[in-house]
Amino acid sequence: MLANKQSQNSFVLKLALALFCGVGLIAGYAGSAVSAAADDFEIIASVQNQTLVNGVTSRVPVAGVSVTVTKIDGSVVGLGVTDEKGLCTVAVPSRDDYAILIDQSTLPDGLVLIDAEKASVTISKDLFTTNTKRVTFFTGEGSAAGATETERILQRLADGIRLGIIIAMCSVGLSLVFGTTGLTNFAHGEMVTFGGLMAFFFNVTLEIPILISGPVVIALGGLFGLLFNWSIFARLTKRGIGLISQLVVTVGLSIMLRNIYLFQFGGRTKQLSSYSKQTNLELGPIGITPRDLTTAILGVIILVSVALFLQRSRLGKAIRAVSDNVQLASATGIDTRKVIKLVWFAGGALAATGGIFRGLDEQVSFSMGSDLLFLMFAGITLGGLGSAFGALIGGFFIGIFVEMSSLFVPSELKVAPALFILIVVLIVRPQGILGKSQRVG
Amino acid sequence: MDWNQIFQNTVRAAVGVDAIYFAIAALGLNIQFGYTGLVNFGQAAFMACGSYGLGMTAQYFGIGLWWGIPLGIMFVIILALIVGIPTLRLRADYLAIVTIATAEIVRLFVRSVKFNKIFGGTEGISNFSRDYRELNPFEPGTTYGFAPFTFSGYTLITVFVGWTLVAIFAFLVWQLMRSPWGRVIKGIREDEDAVRSLGKNVYAYKMQSLIIGGIIGMFAGMVLSLDRGSVQPDNYSRDVTFYVLTALVLGGLAKVSGSIVGSMLFWVLFVLSDNILREVTRNGPLRIGDFTIIQSTQVGAVNYMFVGIGLMLLMTYRPQGLFGNRKEMALDGR
Repeated sequence: MLANKQSQNSFVLKLALALFCGVGLIAGYAGSAVSAAADDFEIIASVQNQTLVNGVTSRVPVAGVSVTVTKIDGSVVGLGVTDEKGLCTVAVPSRDDYAILIDQSTLPDGLVLIDAEKASVTISKDLFTTNTKRVTFFTGEGSAAGATETERILQRLADGIRLGIIIAMCSVGLSLVFGTTGLTNFAHGEMVTFGGLMAFFFNVTLEIPILISGPVVIALGGLFGLLFNWSIFARLTKRGIGLISQLVVTVGLSIMLRNIYLFQFGGRTKQLSSYSKQTNLELGPIGITPRDLTTAILGVIILVSVALFLQRSRLGKAIRAVSDNVQLASATGIDTRKVIKLVWFAGGALAATGGIFRGLDEQVSFSMGSDLLFLMFAGITLGGLGSAFGALIGGFFIGIFVEMSSLFVPSELKVAPALFILIVVLIVRPQGILGKSQRVG
Repeated sequence: MDWNQIFQNTVRAAVGVDAIYFAIAALGLNIQFGYTGLVNFGQAAFMACGSYGLGMTAQYFGIGLWWGIPLGIMFVIILALIVGIPTLRLRADYLAIVTIATAEIVRLFVRSVKFNKIFGGTEGISNFSRDYRELNPFEPGTTYGFAPFTFSGYTLITVFVGWTLVAIFAFLVWQLMRSPWGRVIKGIREDEDAVRSLGKNVYAYKMQSLIIGGIIGMFAGMVLSLDRGSVQPDNYSRDVTFYVLTALVLGGLAKVSGSIVGSMLFWVLFVLSDNILREVTRNGPLRIGDFTIIQSTQVGAVNYMFVGIGLMLLMTYRPQGLFGNRKEMALDGR
């Protein structure tokens, strides 16, 4: 049943796949080949400004940068200034070890070296495979690296809030499903991906703007969650299959769905078309696109309404009651099965919303949701497994924490500190911030 | 490729290196998941401990290859303590969450640019297995055996070494589970509180189970990297654990033969599916009318889709696997 729905939905996704087939990123820089006389050795320093626009890297030569070539002992061999092609050729006497240094103060205003430690590059004589050795320096916009410490922290904070909103939104369903049914759903990331891919399908393949297609995608996400429950988990519970076995089933479901997405969508990450070309608004020291600002504000509105719904409405109270104690809730006349259905629907819808936002913020890919799963788990463990408010607070905090930690750890490892939080929470307060102090072992 | 070739590949997969390292990893996972009831979703990280233990002898320490074994065991113990200390007192799903997260972080670390010098980054480590290659009595370029069981001399040594390891570990696990230690372990799976009330330190037993299972899993990683002659970070992605788990459930949890037969069967089915799909898409996409059913780039995704479906169906309809005993499937005993 699941497969049927998938293939119907994704039949047209194939068209999108075709569009993208064969589109490759061609990133190379133009530079004239310099031929040298047989015995002359020369070093060509190239300074290129690298910009990332809509996921495509483009490079523009930078002229007027002073370049110094020295021997390893420090004696100067030659000087030069880059031309309009960003190139500067310095003749050197022999095949030897040299250090090439660029003078960062001669870079145009606003540009800085992407890797500040690489203002000087050392080359060994073995690198002269021909008589010419080319060394390239990459520069980038100064906002990230050249900004002051405070500005960098504020920028990270802004990014962190955006990520936090998405994680909080995605993990509410995960936490509520756990609270009401006891199931740890490892396929929850695939519900997030579903939202992102459906948004791509409507937005790019059918060319319907996100503002119109978004609500449809969110509704579909809710139905997707219901489908999980109806086709699999409600039946498993009825068959009396235990929670650990169900957990393994969610793993199987996750593998299956992720590969269905891969099958239909392909392995590349792709961009939603709405609002993809935007320039930064400068809000004080923080650069943020109007799109990201809008999603952040919308996200906050959604999170607050979820919280209000749970806190104030009759259904919300019923959800929290079931999440707290299923037997007791059922004894007070709450229809627990209905509540569980509602939780799956709401969780799926929120996950799909998170998927759309994530797709707008970053890009869409077949594994976008499962890549976030670990952060969601860290968030709901921090907030308290099974508590909806805990998921909101924990997820939000984890998002900020992950982005902020990239100030200290390399960005490729920025999720590692979230594991640290997860472990510390489990040692110090395993029930989480908002969890009840009960025996969880 | 013809059907005869497909048949040969399929049969050979039952005894090939893939089935071997899956069998070893599954034997380890079986101690944790099958006998103790620990939901370890990070077996891939324990396998990586073995591979990187071997690889780092050459890459970082510059010592002999066989130091990789104590090094790997050290990594396994550290990893088991990291994931075990916070979670083994808690409900089972916490271990699942932490192990899956740790395995992913371990993979990020070993493939990172930052620690390139230690772990070799995304390219991994090669040129560490010379000591092992010199032990090979077979000619690497020659083909040995009889159809369908033909292996190059390069692979054949790993096939022999691997099946020897499988036999050793199978015997070890079998003996362990007959021992008083094994009875306590199984008792923990059935009813943790009962075991605790008998004065056993459940926490310590769980930790021992995690470490022993991890060390066996470590050897799976070693076999893989010795055969490939390289250590690749992406061989230890999150999903590898789940494929091993599928193989384990297929053969039957809490049964020594289940881990081995399950792994063989997993690879037979996987290679069969893969070969057939590649055969039908070899001359362009398979179509009915204008509708493309599958093209060659999608074969991998379809194979793994089948794995996911298989795992779901097995857990639902035959959780004891093909040969297991349903009585031993008390995963939700508490």
